[in-house]
Amino acid sequence: MSGRTHPPILPPQVRIKTFEPYAENLDDRMALYEASRCITCYEPPCKEACPTHIDIPEFIHRIKSGNYYGAAKVIRQSNIFGGECAYVCPVERLCEEKCVRNSLKDEPVAISLLQRFAFEKERKKGIIKFEKAPPKKKKVAVVGAGPAGLSAAYELARKGYKVTVFDSNPKAGGLMLYGILPWKASWEVAESEIKNILEYGIEFVPSKKVSDLKALLNEYGAVFIGAGTSKSAKLGIEGEDLKGVYPAQDFLYDVARHLQKKGKAPDLKGKRVAIIGGGDTAIDASMASLRLGAERVYIIYRRSLAEMPAVPYGRKQAKEEGVEFLLLSSPVRIHGKNGAVTAIECVKMALGEPDQSGRRAVTPIKGSEFKMDIDAVIVAVGQKPDQEALKSFGLKLKNGLIETDNKFATSIKGVFAGGDVVNGGETVVKATAEGKLAAESIDQFLKGGSK
Amino acid sequence: MVSKPDISVKFCGYEIENPFLLSSAPPTCTGEMIQRAFKAGWGGAVTKTIKPDKTPVYDLKNRFGRMGIEDKQLVLFENIEEVSKRPVGTWVKEIKEIKKAFPDKLLVGSLMAEPKEDDWEDLARVISEAGVDMLELNFGCPHGMPERGMGAFCGQRPELIDSLTKAAKRGSSVPVMVKLTPNVTDIAYMAKTAEQAGADATSAINTVLGLIGVNIDTFEPMPSVDGKSTFGGMSGPGVKPIGMRCVAQIAQATNIPVSGIGGISTWKDAVEYLLIGAANVQVCTAVMWRGYRIVGDLVDGLTNYLSDKGFKSVNEIIGKTLPRLTSWSKLDKDWKVVANIDKDKCIKCGVCYIGCYDGGYQAIKFEPNTGKAAEVDEEKCDACSLCYLSCPVPGCITWKRVQQK
Ligand SMILES: Cc1cc2nc3c(=O)[nH]c(=O)nc-3n(C[C@H](O)[C@H](O)[C@H](O)COP(=O)(O)OP(=O)(O)OC[C@H]3O[C@@H](n4cnc5c(N)ncnc54)[C@H](O)[C@@H]3O)c2cc1C
Ligand SMILES: Cc1cc2nc3c(=O)[nH]c(=O)nc-3n(C[C@H](O)[C@H](O)[C@H](O)COP(=O)(O)O)c2cc1C
Ligand code: SF4
Repeated sequence: MSGRTHPPILPPQVRIKTFEPYAENLDDRMALYEASRCITCYEPPCKEACPTHIDIPEFIHRIKSGNYYGAAKVIRQSNIFGGECAYVCPVERLCEEKCVRNSLKDEPVAISLLQRFAFEKERKKGIIKFEKAPPKKKKVAVVGAGPAGLSAAYELARKGYKVTVFDSNPKAGGLMLYGILPWKASWEVAESEIKNILEYGIEFVPSKKVSDLKALLNEYGAVFIGAGTSKSAKLGIEGEDLKGVYPAQDFLYDVARHLQKKGKAPDLKGKRVAIIGGGDTAIDASMASLRLGAERVYIIYRRSLAEMPAVPYGRKQAKEEGVEFLLLSSPVRIHGKNGAVTAIECVKMALGEPDQSGRRAVTPIKGSEFKMDIDAVIVAVGQKPDQEALKSFGLKLKNGLIETDNKFATSIKGVFAGGDVVNGGETVVKATAEGKLAAESIDQFLKGGSK
Repeated sequence: MVSKPDISVKFCGYEIENPFLLSSAPPTCTGEMIQRAFKAGWGGAVTKTIKPDKTPVYDLKNRFGRMGIEDKQLVLFENIEEVSKRPVGTWVKEIKEIKKAFPDKLLVGSLMAEPKEDDWEDLARVISEAGVDMLELNFGCPHGMPERGMGAFCGQRPELIDSLTKAAKRGSSVPVMVKLTPNVTDIAYMAKTAEQAGADATSAINTVLGLIGVNIDTFEPMPSVDGKSTFGGMSGPGVKPIGMRCVAQIAQATNIPVSGIGGISTWKDAVEYLLIGAANVQVCTAVMWRGYRIVGDLVDGLTNYLSDKGFKSVNEIIGKTLPRLTSWSKLDKDWKVVANIDKDKCIKCGVCYIGCYDGGYQAIKFEPNTGKAAEVDEEKCDACSLCYLSCPVPGCITWKRVQQK
């Protein structure tokens, strides 16, 4: 059986010197080889596993045939952020996890690498444009220019609606530009796709925070909210407000602004940094800390490696770069001096039986407390939407998220929502899919008569 | 330890250490090359075709083409090369040297001349007297040469096969083998003609006439000689089914041995040729791509195969499958089977389903993404075997005997 293609990646000691992408793409020869590994299944599980249901066997078949532009078109038809997704999707728990090659005791087809290949070819030729329906009178407002909002805006614009997108950030893109750092996906990828979407005749209003939904509803026939989750969850322990403790979202936002030469990232040069959490955000924060010059970087996680939600690829990269994993450890207190962090105190945890969700519970082991000297703490234990903003919208909430029905309609008629602000923080592809589905509902709603 | 199976074969009175010969082609262009091949372990070699000094030949720049499929580099190989440009005198000298260094290897001189009996007779005399063990008459080259009355021009005309074989036999002091072209309606008839004219053996196939491709960017046919091309000879893995068909037909029709050629790259290909009646096999394209060294695996693979199967000698497999090749009308119309999918092996790829649905009998039930295995509706299955062949999992689809209704 032919094994999977592994294009070269830069060695850790070289790549941590910059924030640049470090994995090479497939060249024509490798792409042909990798594409030939696809069995061309019929309605396969990989397609089902992709939230946007890209016709994966079809696009891979087109790569085999040498129709690269056609391959990119198949992807874009289902996912307008197909290029960005090719770089940032956690494919190990999406399409590639479901590749039938896994059942053949083989590695999955490198779907995301083939997807990147198709888009790099497309980029050289010019982004694919799809047809637009004739203009309609009705207008739609979109709050938040992340993947959810932009995907909804794009679908609606193609249907002929007049769409205006508001975002409190100076640039459209949401976390694609203010959270996901460029070693995963060069910002050019997202920027070219955002530019493409706006070119469908969408009006973008930057640096505008929306708080008055009623006012919007007076002017627009419908509103889509894709406001994301801009706030990090708190640990709720002593010392969390000391200087040198950063919520992960804020930290990564600052790093992004720093790299965009619009702000300043925390100075971590030569410092010891502890990151709390076991998700992809924790991994990103650890790798960003190294790139900012931190001397030692620890990830402190309550459970064991097996329970870690971060995808194995990211974990492996971080480990290679020198991030140290302190497992089965939970912080109980952050110590400081003169208002600044000096140490973190943790307790060892014991793994219990799996709960209903299958995750094993953990309990602190009495007397196992230990203390480590550190200079900074990054808290990456989950995120949630800006509660103030949500309250000002006056929408019904559930667990701090906007509540919607299965058609993405909220408690206020004409207001729809999707993406992280509804699902609590997932992925670019999920947000894109939800924006797309919500646009369908909005279209149905607007066709139904009102405004 | 069990003794190693014997892989030596007999051919026209000679004993060859193994059944692997180099066919007349670029790998046998010079004495130095043939000696290197012998050193590598080849049992014999047929020289690149030698022609009389008065017959001009040219080598076009360039003269090869290739067809791949997906990531497979080589499915078919094309050439529009002519026969050896080297003078007869050079060959005579080198044949002597080869035989001196490797007296036990089978050295065959390949010949071609214009369709004049005297020319064939003379050339056969000179080359056989130089010391080769056998001659091979090239009646097969389908490109270039036929435009000047040579190669396939002869192989496509029974009267020329007859008269020129007789002429060569008159001149030759050694056994003569006739190399046939597949570019005819009935190759068995051509082989019988050669047999009746006195040939001691036949060999098949020479290359299959074709057009390997067109460059869709430049619109040039390939291989391009300053923008133009001509039809050429196909060889390599893709021609193996044609070669095997020809060899089996010849083996069934004649009583003289046939040397099997066409698309042999591995010992498995060779075993197949031997099973359908080839006395030995000749190889060209695979050596052009990978070198003489492939003989190591050819010999070793064949030996291991024979010992695994419990054969003591390769001779036990020669022609073993031939009696099983019959006409369509003699096949059992009452033999009934249906496809059966192993639920536990099925990986739910749906490949069998879509094939049977769009290209078969709508006999497979499959619901994507339910985790359920594909299932054959035995009433509808016509046992065409499409699913069996396209399933990516070895042993997942098998046949189930059903009673005749
Ligand atoms: C560090 C980090 C790494 C990640 N890595 C990956 C990854 O590798 N792969 C992956 O698929 N996903 C990743 N994600 C998750 C992914 O970025 C999100 O799931 C996705 O961006 C969600 O899209 P969204 O449109 O719902 O929200 P966002 O991208 O968060 O966009 C929301 C937008 O709404 C704007 N907004 C909010 N409130 C208002 C308001 N009141 N008025 C106007 N504008 C407003 C915000 O400014 C923002 O631009 C990562 C997330 C983080 C934090
Ligand atoms: C480049 C090239 C040149 C050849 N020249 C000759 C030749 O001079 N005389 C001949 O009898 N056959 C010639 N052949 C045919 C081969 O001997 C052989 O019959 C054919 O290639 C099929 O075998 P294969 O698939 O192992 O290559 C030539 C083939 C190739 C590819
Ligand atoms: S053998 Fe042919 S007819 Fe029977 S299930 Fe397979 S594909 Fe269908």
